Amino acid sequence: MPLLTIATFLPILAGLALMALPDRPARIVHGVSIAATGAVFLITLAIWARGIVPGGFAQIEEIAWIPAIGAAYRLGLDGLSLPLVLLTSLLFLLSAIYSARVGERAASYVVLMLMLETASLGTFMALDGLLFYVFFEVSLVGMYFMIAGWGYEDRQRAALMFFLYTLLGSLPLLLAIIGLYLGSGTFDMRAWIDAPPLAGIAAMLALIAMFFTFAVKIPAFPVHTWLPAAHVQAPTAGSVILAGVMLKFGTYGLVRFAYQMTPEAFVQAGQVILAFGVVSALYGAFAALAQSDLKKMIAYTSVNHMGYVVMGVAVAALATDPRIRTIGLDGASLQMVSHGLVTGALFFLVGMLQDRAHSRGIGEFGGLLGRVPWLGWAFILSAFASLGLPGLAHFPAEFQIFLATLNAAPWAIVAILAIVVTAALYLRAIAAVFLGEANPKWADMPDLDGREKLVIVPLLILTVLVGVAPGWLIDIIHTTMTGLGG
Amino acid sequence: MERDLAFLVPELLLAGAAMLMIVAEMLRAPRLVLVIGLVALGLSAGLTLPLLDADTTVFGGTYRIDAIAGWAKLILLPGTALALLMARAEIAGREREGSVYAVIMLVTLGALMLSGAGDMMVLIIGVVMTGLGSFALVTYPRDDAATEAGMKYLVFGAVTGAVMIYGLTFWFAGAGSTLFSELGALEGQSLILIAGLIAVIVGLGYKAALVPLHFWAPDAYDGAPISIAAYLSVITKAAAFFAFAQVLRDLPREAGWPFALALISAATMTYGYLAALVQTNLVRLIAYSSVAQSGYLLMGVVALGVSSIAVPSLLVFAAAYVAMNLGAFAVIMVAGRSLNDLEGVGRSRPWLGVAMVVFLLSLTGIPPLFGFVGKVYLFMAALEAGYLWLAIIGILNTVLALGVYLRMVIPIYRTPEATAERAPIAPPLVAVIVVATAVTLGLGLLAAVFPG
Repeated sequence: MPLLTIATFLPILAGLALMALPDRPARIVHGVSIAATGAVFLITLAIWARGIVPGGFAQIEEIAWIPAIGAAYRLGLDGLSLPLVLLTSLLFLLSAIYSARVGERAASYVVLMLMLETASLGTFMALDGLLFYVFFEVSLVGMYFMIAGWGYEDRQRAALMFFLYTLLGSLPLLLAIIGLYLGSGTFDMRAWIDAPPLAGIAAMLALIAMFFTFAVKIPAFPVHTWLPAAHVQAPTAGSVILAGVMLKFGTYGLVRFAYQMTPEAFVQAGQVILAFGVVSALYGAFAALAQSDLKKMIAYTSVNHMGYVVMGVAVAALATDPRIRTIGLDGASLQMVSHGLVTGALFFLVGMLQDRAHSRGIGEFGGLLGRVPWLGWAFILSAFASLGLPGLAHFPAEFQIFLATLNAAPWAIVAILAIVVTAALYLRAIAAVFLGEANPKWADMPDLDGREKLVIVPLLILTVLVGVAPGWLIDIIHTTMTGLGG
Repeated sequence: MERDLAFLVPELLLAGAAMLMIVAEMLRAPRLVLVIGLVALGLSAGLTLPLLDADTTVFGGTYRIDAIAGWAKLILLPGTALALLMARAEIAGREREGSVYAVIMLVTLGALMLSGAGDMMVLIIGVVMTGLGSFALVTYPRDDAATEAGMKYLVFGAVTGAVMIYGLTFWFAGAGSTLFSELGALEGQSLILIAGLIAVIVGLGYKAALVPLHFWAPDAYDGAPISIAAYLSVITKAAAFFAFAQVLRDLPREAGWPFALALISAATMTYGYLAALVQTNLVRLIAYSSVAQSGYLLMGVVALGVSSIAVPSLLVFAAAYVAMNLGAFAVIMVAGRSLNDLEGVGRSRPWLGVAMVVFLLSLTGIPPLFGFVGKVYLFMAALEAGYLWLAIIGILNTVLALGVYLRMVIPIYRTPEATAERAPIAPPLVAVIVVATAVTLGLGLLAAVFPG
């Protein structure tokens, strides 16, 4: 059974079926949405059960598409993409459950979400350069309409900025893909990985183009400016998907395309890329410290966390010892998953807080822990995870990244300063929002209801599980990364 | 002779149908005129299918039956059929209705001559046939705006046509033949080559609305009925590019003409989008956007002769362009000519809104729509020809394009202040929009049908 194809296109087919319905009451719409994303989640579990193979892609599905130019419909998985696929299907399921309260144009909202899921899964599983680009761009359109249609106050401007920024960002990738095609005569990404088709100056140009694209998506300093605006204005589920899934397109592409397809140029540019990672990590932390809006603060910590991922990949390229290389890549890949879990949870929680208070200002709350213990403790746990506390999801990832950094490029260890800053900003936010003097304005704020617990608890469990016993996840990643590192 | 005529069946059928249409118009039976036209277009397109793999010439090399001419028919004939339906929706019941259909057929015949031109004389006949008919079509409403637009169009056309004929005589002198296949003889005669080429760029560039020969386009489109503007913006333009392909592919790539065309391409796309950014009249907006699209098509022309995908890229993008531009014009016919008329269309008519978004995103070049596939082919052709800078300018302009087209997308989903009553859409227009949407969406996914 072509499970990958089914998982990829089931959401959009469910969406099309919804559009064909003449009458679309919100209950049915959300029911379909949860059923479809739930089914996709189960299918991705089955895909996981089928497993992957070391040193290449598994579960390949291939049909001819544009034979004239060697483009085909090719899907497949390895240890880099499988965890991201699982993360994607989980976050979309949880978003569908969370969104069940959206009443305004529910059908359009759900169709966009489902389209985004198809695009996201397709991006991670595509093994054809052109197909990858197609999915990559479709996700952009879906997110644009999501922000423009269901966002907050200033949504039109934020949506337009997001679209223009990331479209300009992604077009250089198209040039690089065409360059790789002209160098090899095929769009098969496996061929590009096995025998990198470009060399010398052409490879460097392609790398620069790709790095620009992925840096915008990741986002790395200084091309991150679309992120706070888009996050703050996006509806909650949109923020979760944007941070949890779509930012990973950037880091995934950085490994899959930049690192694997132009390896020599990547090593030459390793120090520069590392510097981008270090600056992003530091800048994201300090910028987050300066925010008074909870959502914006979390958005900037994404810049910080994704900066670590860039560092991990860059030090893997710089390292001479294959063991260290593998550790860097393992850490970077694990960090992508951890960030999806933790930041996803944080955005959900801020969304829940905003649903209740219609405010996101850190200074406007106080003493909420006694009022809404579920919300409060969930936030505190996720915040601790986000600042890298041992035993929670980010720790094993960041530990490996810093280990590799210390070994391959010791100067870059300055980024560890960012952890201190992140700790400070989260403790400050927790103190201001959940501890201290209770603000009487929120005296009758309700705690999380059953649906909200259903959304948040799986993420918290996984956060702890990945922190305490990351072995099961690292094993998947490691299967592929040993091949890449050596 | 018989062999030659056998290859020309599609064209002959079209010519015969046009005569029949004129007769039917004299009988005051506009519906019959339309039906004859549609049937003839369908038959003619069907008869082209067996000729698709042919690569030959007829009448002593003057008319080419090759991949360009064959695919051009498959693109232009269905496109013309859609345009006829749009015209029906717009001018049904008005006087001289049938004449419009007949003239459209004749212009399309001229467009086919351009796409198959193997000789200077055939090229000139094509230019004149498309030109004369177009002038008449633009002035159809007989009001001041249309007359002014028609006059501009005519004067521009007459001057550029004359320049082209004059310049072509240089090539004749240099190559000793009017056949384009003999143009290789110009190798080394740079001055003659350039003199003739400038003339061709002027003559065909005017049809294709390249900067700086585009001035007539917004006025002509705006003065004409919308369906005619839609027709002119796709059929004669696509034909001009097919003619470029026929003329330039045998021309020696020397004296830097590919570079000069690349400059024109960059200028055309940039100027077109910049001008489109400030328009509030939808017809003018789309007019400038189609100027910009010409710039993209010219990327394929630049790569002629060095890139094996230059010709396919022109064909694929032209097909996409015909579908999406006709579709966008059809939606404008429903919504109205002003940008404000789009307000809330997506709320009151959800399917029409979705269709317009599909057309506009395809014009921008967003995957997986047909316009994206076309642009990928064009970028590939330009890169293979070594024009990285042109591809980069094309990419930067895509962002400008997004600004242009999102200006139309955003009002579609805004809540309208006053809910206008919904008049039903004319059935022919529904058919056009459905077909155009299906092609724009479907052929993006199934791009495999096109030649490589």
